Amino acid sequence: MILQLAITGLMVGMVYALMALGIVVIYKCSSIFNFSHGAIVAFMCYLAWAFLVQLRLPFWTAALFLLVSAIVLGWIIQVGILRLLIGQPLLASLMVTLALMQVFGGIVTLVWPGPARFYPEIIPTGIFNVAGAVISYESLITLGVCVLAFLAFMYFFQSTKLGLAMRGTAEDHQLARSNGIRVVQMFTLAWIIAIITCSLGGVLIGNMHGVNYEPVSGLAMKALPAVMIGGMESVVGALVGGLLIGIFETIGAGFIDPLVGGGFADVFPYIAMIALIIFKPYGLFGYEKIERV
Amino acid sequence: MSKRPSGNFETSYAQDIAICHTGFQQVVMALFLVCLLIIVPLVSSPYILSVFNIIGITIIAAIGLNILTGYAGQINLGQAGFIAVGAYMCAIMTTHLHLSFWLALPLAAIITGLVGTLFALPSLRVKGFYIAVTTLAAHMIIMWLITHGGNVTGGVEGLAADPPRFGDFIFNTEQHYYFLIIGLTVLLTYAAKNLVRTRFGRAIIAVRDNDLAAPFLGINVFRYKVMAFFICAFYAGVAGALMAGYYKMITVEYFPMLDSIWYIGYLIVGGAGSIVGTIFGVVFLKLLSQIVMWGGPLLGEVVPIFSAGAVSGLMQFTFGVIIIIFLIFEPRGLWHRWQIALSSMRIWPFPY
Repeated sequence: MILQLAITGLMVGMVYALMALGIVVIYKCSSIFNFSHGAIVAFMCYLAWAFLVQLRLPFWTAALFLLVSAIVLGWIIQVGILRLLIGQPLLASLMVTLALMQVFGGIVTLVWPGPARFYPEIIPTGIFNVAGAVISYESLITLGVCVLAFLAFMYFFQSTKLGLAMRGTAEDHQLARSNGIRVVQMFTLAWIIAIITCSLGGVLIGNMHGVNYEPVSGLAMKALPAVMIGGMESVVGALVGGLLIGIFETIGAGFIDPLVGGGFADVFPYIAMIALIIFKPYGLFGYEKIERV
Repeated sequence: MSKRPSGNFETSYAQDIAICHTGFQQVVMALFLVCLLIIVPLVSSPYILSVFNIIGITIIAAIGLNILTGYAGQINLGQAGFIAVGAYMCAIMTTHLHLSFWLALPLAAIITGLVGTLFALPSLRVKGFYIAVTTLAAHMIIMWLITHGGNVTGGVEGLAADPPRFGDFIFNTEQHYYFLIIGLTVLLTYAAKNLVRTRFGRAIIAVRDNDLAAPFLGINVFRYKVMAFFICAFYAGVAGALMAGYYKMITVEYFPMLDSIWYIGYLIVGGAGSIVGTIFGVVFLKLLSQIVMWGGPLLGEVVPIFSAGAVSGLMQFTFGVIIIIFLIFEPRGLWHRWQIALSSMRIWPFPY
């Protein structure tokens, strides 16, 4: 039982960690918290379905199309909307992503209404047993893809020149500019990276739970407590926060739900988050901000 | 911004903050109130009155939110959750405890205020974005408690509420509710307008503008933040109790997460930090949603693949686009445009 819960928690947690990474990348660079993450994940999930099923593209062509649309979307959002709002107060930067959430939610409801859809079988199905715990190939591959993606992004941030430029942008905009980094281009890059993680997460979640707006965007928004717990500026924090939320949630579902009735898993991360905000406001790995008048 | 064509010549603070500065303004205000409270309910059809009623309830909750978000600068993404608390409190008190609606309404409002205060406690340590996230979590937690409240809240099936009544006279038509809702809206708008012109109002504006500098002016920042939260949730509670009485049957579906975002949207469109602006924002977006409700099926006919999700999808989409447009082109909202229009009307035909 505990092994089973731990393994499920780990898999779900890795997906949350990947989603949290997408939010952290944007927040680090441009101090904008992307509330539209869940909606964009759902949108990309539907877009992938449209490429695979409606246009009947082969898998790799569809993947390429999805990548291109992620890049175009990131560029449009940054250049068309967010660049015009730089320097506006917190309410504006918060509300613009909430409005984007509405826009993407609206597009999905308009274009693909109705019940859940399903991907054709991209990943072989099947299950096997390890010491009494049931593991499916799907979740194993999901886990693998998430770990690979995480390693790839870690490598990008730690060891490439572009990644260094992005980290510099996250530190300080003015210092980055005086070192010849094009800060606004880094914002665009951050959005593109985030939307690529969105597409990955969208396909993985859609493969597990069906292509459906509410559950997919809801699952992706679990990244919110993950990011808050991990600390908003930290990639490691995203990983740890995501895994913690995944484990909290499965433990909540396994042990607390039978006591209080279903659905506690859905609020448990938020209660944990509020408790953490009160005692350790900047999360486990976030920067503590010191303000002066 | 000039209040008179020749300039302002106020000699006291009271004159400066007066609602009506000239006799003409007083006459216009009086005419407006007579129209709103007497002529409109007598001549309008039930459909129009129902739109007014929903706008009235929304204005009450949005004004509360404006005091917290627009004046005190604390972003609240959980207003729908607080409204739900008010609605359920009112329904529980009238259905389970058999209290009169007139007692349940203020009690529900006060209890909602206290719930709001509870979620204001993190503001002792954090601010800005973190407060927004706390209120978002508050919405989730409140909704979970309501769905799992068993017989007390009726779970997902919802709860019936007793309509307001005076003896044998029961409020059961749109017109009856119009007098109740619009009457309370006018009263609470006036109360809010007065509130933000007092010491409390000036203090929360100071907290909004710079909460590091505010303590040096002798303002207890935490206390005023908590008070602002209380007032915001109190207004939400009144709106919720009115909703419970108006719909007679409430379920969690009346209080989606989406509504909390719409409430912030009202402030953006109307103008955050302006009581009158809130009214502009609510009226503008509510009328827009009426237009979308008519236009959605039309779009569905023109483009058949859109037909199934036309109204809800188009509503969300339009709302998002309107908010983005306002944020980019007029972040100060319709209220600011109204001021510009008024002052250019005063000095007309001169362009200065």
